[in-house]
Amino acid sequence: MKRTLGLLSAVAVAAMLGLSGASEAADKTIKVAGFGVKSGVLRSFGINTEAVMNAAIEHINTAGGVKLADGTMAMMEMTFDDDRCNAEEGISVIRRIASSDAVIAVGPTCSNVAEPLFGVLQGKVDDASDSGLQMPIFTDTAIKGGLAKISEWAFRNVPNENEMYRTLYKWVRKEHPELKTIFGGVEEDFAHSRFTWYKVMDTRAKEAGFEVVGFSKWLLADTNFTTQVREMKKAKADIVSMSSHAFTLCGMLKEMKRQRVKPKLIIGLTSSSTTETMQGCSAAAEGIIIPTSYAPVTDAAKLASDMATKHGGSTDLHSAAAWEILHILKDVIETSGVEGKPDTVQADRRRIRDGLASRPTTPGLLGTIKREADGEATKPYLYVTAKDGEWVVLHNPL
Amino acid sequence: MIFGFEPIEYLQALVDGLLFGSTYAIIAIGFTLIFGVMDKLNLAYAASAIAGAYASWGVLEYVPLPVFITYFISAIAAGFFGYIVYICNFRFIPARNQLATLLATVGMLLFIDEVIVHATSGVPQSYPALFDDVYIEFGELFGLRGDLLFIFGLSIIATAILVYILFKTPLGMATRAVAQQPVAAQLCGMGVQKTNATTFIIAGCIGGVAGAMIGASIGMLSPLLTLPITVKGLIAAVIGGLGSVPGAIIGGLIVGGVENFFLLTRGVTERDMYVMLLLFIFLAFRPGGIFNTSAHRD
Repeated sequence: MKRTLGLLSAVAVAAMLGLSGASEAADKTIKVAGFGVKSGVLRSFGINTEAVMNAAIEHINTAGGVKLADGTMAMMEMTFDDDRCNAEEGISVIRRIASSDAVIAVGPTCSNVAEPLFGVLQGKVDDASDSGLQMPIFTDTAIKGGLAKISEWAFRNVPNENEMYRTLYKWVRKEHPELKTIFGGVEEDFAHSRFTWYKVMDTRAKEAGFEVVGFSKWLLADTNFTTQVREMKKAKADIVSMSSHAFTLCGMLKEMKRQRVKPKLIIGLTSSSTTETMQGCSAAAEGIIIPTSYAPVTDAAKLASDMATKHGGSTDLHSAAAWEILHILKDVIETSGVEGKPDTVQADRRRIRDGLASRPTTPGLLGTIKREADGEATKPYLYVTAKDGEWVVLHNPL
Repeated sequence: MIFGFEPIEYLQALVDGLLFGSTYAIIAIGFTLIFGVMDKLNLAYAASAIAGAYASWGVLEYVPLPVFITYFISAIAAGFFGYIVYICNFRFIPARNQLATLLATVGMLLFIDEVIVHATSGVPQSYPALFDDVYIEFGELFGLRGDLLFIFGLSIIATAILVYILFKTPLGMATRAVAQQPVAAQLCGMGVQKTNATTFIIAGCIGGVAGAMIGASIGMLSPLLTLPITVKGLIAAVIGGLGSVPGAIIGGLIVGGVENFFLLTRGVTERDMYVMLLLFIFLAFRPGGIFNTSAHRD
């Protein structure tokens, strides 16, 4: 009897200890700080990123959360700040995040925020002479090329446009050998659009053997595109290649339709392969070809899309990157010895940074993502085209 | 060729600019009407005009309507927004406090802008146009957009209606009387507040037409529209002479023409510099604008 009672007591104590351990695990959290633009005309970018981050966190937490160095499980938690696509605001947000207990920041949306913001991070790890912030940042949207090399604390999961347009123009050359000339267009006051036209599209088109016969410029808030389309009409190019976001892309496409400018092919900017373009001008955009690092063609991508919709957002090449980032982080946290304690926040940040830097590849929604030494990524991509008000896959170049 | 362009290209740029300038003209009329009556600027005017267009788009999302009815709803909604702006920014702020009303309207402009952004997540929305498939070509280098011609025509009609209201109706007489001598008008039994409110509603309705026409001319609505339209409309009103309806029309057409001419010759990055330069020239040498003959320099 005594033995039985002792056994029962031991079981009860063990159960209580177990329960208290479980409760401790459930209480443990790993905090991720998201930030991006949630006001102004680019608000939809922030809304989508936040929704996708929430969806990814729900997906991870439902499966048990993340495993910490001591073997306990922790739930992922996130905050999301609005940087208003403004550099000063972005720097202020990252300083605030750095003083919190978040182990990593995910963002920003705009390249004009990312560039100065990466500049306030420590340039080289362990450089005692550099008092910059030691906070890992993993970027989902800001796409202007080559920014991650500014700091060893900066990582990006954005598509490599150079590679995408290099192969796209080559593919077009091969598929349509009769097309020889290109007329370009650029949203002159938007960092990403400018970079992509001047450093990517123009160069890669020429490399592929096309003759660039000219290009027009317009501004993000322009409302009248008659002169630009007349320039385009005058050039009589086979292909029109436009580096602009949804609003002005739609303005240009509608004006082209009015003036009956019908190039044999239209190529668009990665960032315009979104629902915004479809909502703004689906009929005028019919047939446009855009390279993108996201399309709901795999089971994982479909799941991400469904869960994002549930959280009030939509997946596109930018927001879907946030899903990938959070799943990459789960893997990094579980394999880098992250402790998740209040007194190990800075050490955990360093572990996550080192974990990210040491990965040659990471999983992605369309396949394996290659991590570059400078913190950039080379992501799998597809060519999509607008058809009957939807984006459909035209070709898989990989 | 003159400086790299055919003469016909200059003509085309000017004509395009003049036609598009008619939208600036309608916005400028709104600015000038309110300034004429109250001697105050309503910087939220263009924002409420675009808000009117958004309201009509919102109705269109639920009820399929003919395009003309959509534009009509835009006018009615913008008239309502104009009244709200009056109540919030003018009605209860002392008339002598010019700066307070000016800043209040700036606040209202930003508020309306942000409401639109939150309602649509900043996503551009397709807006119906009339005659957008009509393009009248004269040879290879000259053509006229059917929709811009329609907008031009509608602007003239809107202006004609306004002029009729101002000069042929008791309401117009009251408006002009309050504009010229508010105290005397009140002594004659005209309600100053009522007249002011009516002016805001009428100006709002005209703005709603402008908002719808701007949306139609681009084929889309976006919160990006409010600020440039405010700036261009205001410049047009100042150049034409604040308080003068014909001045607002001429000012709008001049701004549109100059803008497009320099877009062709100097490019998009310099275009607005020349429009601003034009404004500075007027402010320096003819501060009362084209139609304000009483203006003089200190």
